[in-house]
Amino acid sequence: MKWLSGLAVLGLMALLALGVSGIFPRLELPDPEPIALSWGARNAVAAIVLGVRLWDTLFEILIYAMTIAGVKLGLRFLRWEREVPPLAETPLLRRSADLLLGPVFVFALYVAVSGHLGPGGGFPAGALLGTGLLILAMAKGVERLSAEIHEPSLEWVEYGAIAVILGLASGLLLLGQRGASYFVAANLLIMVEVAIGAWVVLHRFASSRGEV
Amino acid sequence: MDGLAALALSIALVGVGFWALIVRRNLIWKLLGLNVAAGGSILFLVALAYRPGARPAIVGLGPGPAADPLPQALVLTAIVIDFATLALALVYVIFLTEHRHTQDVHRLEREEEWPQP
Repeated sequence: MKWLSGLAVLGLMALLALGVSGIFPRLELPDPEPIALSWGARNAVAAIVLGVRLWDTLFEILIYAMTIAGVKLGLRFLRWEREVPPLAETPLLRRSADLLLGPVFVFALYVAVSGHLGPGGGFPAGALLGTGLLILAMAKGVERLSAEIHEPSLEWVEYGAIAVILGLASGLLLLGQRGASYFVAANLLIMVEVAIGAWVVLHRFASSRGEV
Repeated sequence: MDGLAALALSIALVGVGFWALIVRRNLIWKLLGLNVAAGGSILFLVALAYRPGARPAIVGLGPGPAADPLPQALVLTAIVIDFATLALALVYVIFLTEHRHTQDVHRLEREEEWPQP
């Protein structure tokens, strides 16, 4: 039975591959340029994510926030009891992390702000910023960094970003307003939400299972 | 990468991921397999957007057909939700390991090994 189900899955994938490879005729694509321009963006993907299927994106943000809250609640009662020595901290690692965080932050901001003009957007920018925080946490230690960046306030910033983006996007969608400023604001808010969510997950796992 | 090569790689990744998901008994391995399969399906969606000779779906990059922007927009959702659900699944694995001291699904499913109230 195990092998039969495996073969069925592979057969289904092969059928899909046949469909994609051009053996079967494919539908003609509509030109994405008018769609992008009608939303005030040059990147058609941004126009789809934050325009055409905005409700889908809003619920995706909600699902993300709910899973982060689930991780936070689930790991609340699990604390690492034994004393774990943190990784040996070298001046080279600390200096590199300090030097790298600035460019990473600026690049994330650039990716978020220019997401409607070219490749980029709020989600990749949030992943970039979260990775920057991970580098810093590896150099400084998670608990120390958490105290330095005032994590409880950050969590309220995350909830605030979610509330603002839900209100902004729903309001603009209902009013029918479109334009570049909306894309910039939405991408920045999504960046904040994704980066803080990634940091919260990292910190909770590290504090429940030992130091990074 | 050519579209067909990306497709072949994505199918291989999904196959390997599903193999780990079905055959492996350790929960961490199952989650890893699920993640590899999710990576394969993401690559599949990206390959789906590929058209030979097409340009990126950005206005002002020249004439000619553009790549399909819809699968690329779907991929964004898939990546973010994949990360979040993996984190939540790992929390459940931590809980099970804490209470049952095992990650083996066969041992987890044996009722006589559950703690009696």
